[in-house]
Amino acid sequence: MAAKKLTVVISQAQGKNPQKRHLEEELAARLIMEPGIDVCIVPHLNDMPVDHSGLLLLKSVSGPIVVLSWLYPRAARWILDRQGVKGHEGVTLLTSEDEDDEELQDDESGKGIGAGDVPNRRLYCIDLRVESTAEPYLEELRRIARENTQETVELLSWIGGNPSGGQLQQFLTPAPEAPAPTNGSAPPAASPETNGNGSTPQPVNLAADETPVKRRWYPVIDYSRCTNCMECIDFCLFGVYGVDTMDRILVEAQDNCKKGCPACSRVCPENAIIFPQHKSPAIAGADGEVAGLKIDLSKLFGGGDQDSLETAIAERDAELVKDGRDAVGMSVGVPKRQADKEPRKRDELDDLMDGLDDMDF
Amino acid sequence: MAEDLVFMMGKFEARIPGDRLYSDNHLWLQSCDNAYRVGLTAWSVRLLQDVYFLDWDVDPDTSVRHKQEIGQIESSKAVSALYAPADGRLVAFNEQLLDDPSAINTDGYGNGWLYLLETQAPLLSPAEYVEHLEANWEKTQRLIKGQLN
Repeated sequence: MAAKKLTVVISQAQGKNPQKRHLEEELAARLIMEPGIDVCIVPHLNDMPVDHSGLLLLKSVSGPIVVLSWLYPRAARWILDRQGVKGHEGVTLLTSEDEDDEELQDDESGKGIGAGDVPNRRLYCIDLRVESTAEPYLEELRRIARENTQETVELLSWIGGNPSGGQLQQFLTPAPEAPAPTNGSAPPAASPETNGNGSTPQPVNLAADETPVKRRWYPVIDYSRCTNCMECIDFCLFGVYGVDTMDRILVEAQDNCKKGCPACSRVCPENAIIFPQHKSPAIAGADGEVAGLKIDLSKLFGGGDQDSLETAIAERDAELVKDGRDAVGMSVGVPKRQADKEPRKRDELDDLMDGLDDMDF
Repeated sequence: MAEDLVFMMGKFEARIPGDRLYSDNHLWLQSCDNAYRVGLTAWSVRLLQDVYFLDWDVDPDTSVRHKQEIGQIESSKAVSALYAPADGRLVAFNEQLLDDPSAINTDGYGNGWLYLLETQAPLLSPAEYVEHLEANWEKTQRLIKGQLN
């Protein structure tokens, strides 16, 4: 059979920032020449509606995928999970400088409930804001391509498993026709198997062919952190959250979400709710913890007196009033767990403080 | 001269010199000509750790209001906006820190001063500042822990 392909998806920035466009285009143009890599361009991950051909293409790929987007990797990964594009987290060496050394192995082994039905393939998410030129990305993509072509053993174990009909179909007919975009709206030029070895390679561009996507605003849940505590469903009064048949929390009606309001993310005790488009890194899915995200001490030095719960309540009230409803303040769905934090035993702060006693001041 | 006080932050001793006044947003203010020299207390520096970036949003010789945001500070572990401790006039900044803010860590009560401020506002005595620290220590820890999630 054909060698295992690496699918590289470039998710465009919102707006028409020329620098960003340039990087996207240069990456696409150069990746098309890379053997073993399929490349395609889709609109911003956050904005694609569920039946967009870009998403359908992503869903049709059964092999490893690298997604390059203008998002924090956590945000990209969990948007894709939400859209049914799942995989084990692929480790990229291309990360922002802040999140390198102290990064812990907390993800898959954490206390979160985890993503369901994860197929045995890797999903790499790379933030296009990390480097401004194409070269570092190309280098990393070649490395990832190598990493994945060497893993035939894992591939075989997958064959031994129970692939769904669609997966099997695709595995047995690895090349030409695009298996998944079965709806009529898939653009004719969209052959996802453009292989880079053809005579006139063109990147598959699923962004340009359709009417521009509208910007969207909604939360995505990081299931590696989510403990299914239900604080968010209690707090949000707009019916965004629901539970699945196994009583797992999910974002059920994402378009009920109020644009600009990240209140549920603030009340989440595990910081598991990501608003990919929020301006504050912690809410937009930057890798939390002390390593990636610095502690903001502004409140201690005289900044706004509100804590995050008060902020969340104010944001929620503002949205309720805009909807012509009554503000509820603290009376509805205020988390109880946060209050339990104080008596917690040794934690990171203690370690941080005590560990630094050894330093010279 | 009044004796120095100490506030225990966990195992760390934050020294609060007795020769100056304080503000509740963790700055010290020491009389210097007709103004105060203002700097970060040992408590502040302890939380910030190694400061490597300092920037001011206002020009020297401007009026500032209590809690007005006047600058930004960044360290290896933390970021924070900086706020004026009281209504007054910001006379000048410590220019040396703008090139190299490390004196904040090495000599926070001396060469690590931040700016000169003229103010008539009431300030805290060392003992009052330590009381303020004690009263808010639980809340401080909670606030920081909340961010570590």
